[in-house]
Amino acid sequence: MPPKPRKPPPRRPDTRKRNLLIAGAGAALVVAILVVVSVVVAGGGDSGKATTSGAASSTLFEGIPQDGTELGAKDAPVTFIQFEDLQCPICRSYQEDGFSDIVREYVRPGKVKLRFAGIAILGQDSEKALRYALAAGKQGKLWQYVAALYANQGEENTGWVTDDVLEQLAKDVGLDWTQLQKDAASAEVTRQAQATAAEAGQLGVPGTPTFFVKIGNGQPYAVQPTSFSIDSFRPIFADALGS
Amino acid sequence: MTVSDRALRIAIAVVALAGVAVAGYLTYVHYQPDALICTSHGGCETVQESSYAELAGIPVALLGLLAWSAVVVLVAWDSELARTLVAAVALGAAGFAIYLVTLQAFVIDAWCIWCLVNDLVLVPLLAILAIWRVLRTPEA
Repeated sequence: MPPKPRKPPPRRPDTRKRNLLIAGAGAALVVAILVVVSVVVAGGGDSGKATTSGAASSTLFEGIPQDGTELGAKDAPVTFIQFEDLQCPICRSYQEDGFSDIVREYVRPGKVKLRFAGIAILGQDSEKALRYALAAGKQGKLWQYVAALYANQGEENTGWVTDDVLEQLAKDVGLDWTQLQKDAASAEVTRQAQATAAEAGQLGVPGTPTFFVKIGNGQPYAVQPTSFSIDSFRPIFADALGS
Repeated sequence: MTVSDRALRIAIAVVALAGVAVAGYLTYVHYQPDALICTSHGGCETVQESSYAELAGIPVALLGLLAWSAVVVLVAWDSELARTLVAAVALGAAGFAIYLVTLQAFVIDAWCIWCLVNDLVLVPLLAILAIWRVLRTPEA
């Protein structure tokens, strides 16, 4: 008769504590490594100094007509409306991803014009940045200024939209700073911001970025790209352009 | 209180599966940022887009998903070593969760509700259950 398998002996309390100590020591070591890597790699990312983005300083917008909040040929058959908050990191992702390709492939050839529909939903920094962006539109450089603001976007509502940053970026993109300040404080900019906020409410914009397509003078309809890469926008524009 | 090892294993498995779901969602939105939009009452997008959302190119959410998946595998493997390893993962996760919550509170200055569910509910639960399982009085 084969021997009956024996039940393992109960663990002794000191063995259990020893196991727990080993587990704790191993865990502490791993956490220490993770935290050090996180602090060194991630924490050192922001220099804090304002710099213009590649899009703002490059030739992306050169030669493309700008009228206030619009970028592109006036008679472009399709208008792409972008509801954005300049503090929104997802809007910055869009700006860094598909936006430049949209400008190159659709706006520059006159197929599509873009409309910056800026709304301030995240806080005071959003509001201040929006006022200055709209003011930059008065000087025909809203899109350069918006690109520069995204490139220098700080953490939400930390007061990153300082006068120094705004002035530095204004000078970088060639804006008249004194005029910009005057326009940013104007009643016209207030009305403009309020009108876009009301439009967002009417269209049921849930957050930013939210995109709408308008064909000719038709009603705008919401579109939702599956990613921010140009590949996700191409079918949307192909459909709107009827190609 | 006497709780059977089987009951503790089931509890750990349930918590770990919830962890897989939450970390899986956060990993998904990390790679599909368009799944997120910025709303006036949300901070997930800020946390997900912060420079702390990745560790040397690896999304923190993915590390969480791997850790939770490891717990699921370890809890299915019933041995002294597996018990100890679950406790090690749980303690490591608890330590790192404290760091992540501190970052949200004082550095990123935004709260991600799904991260908080993970860091303040699931991870502490796992740590308690895993330590309890290692220290519990053995069955006669």
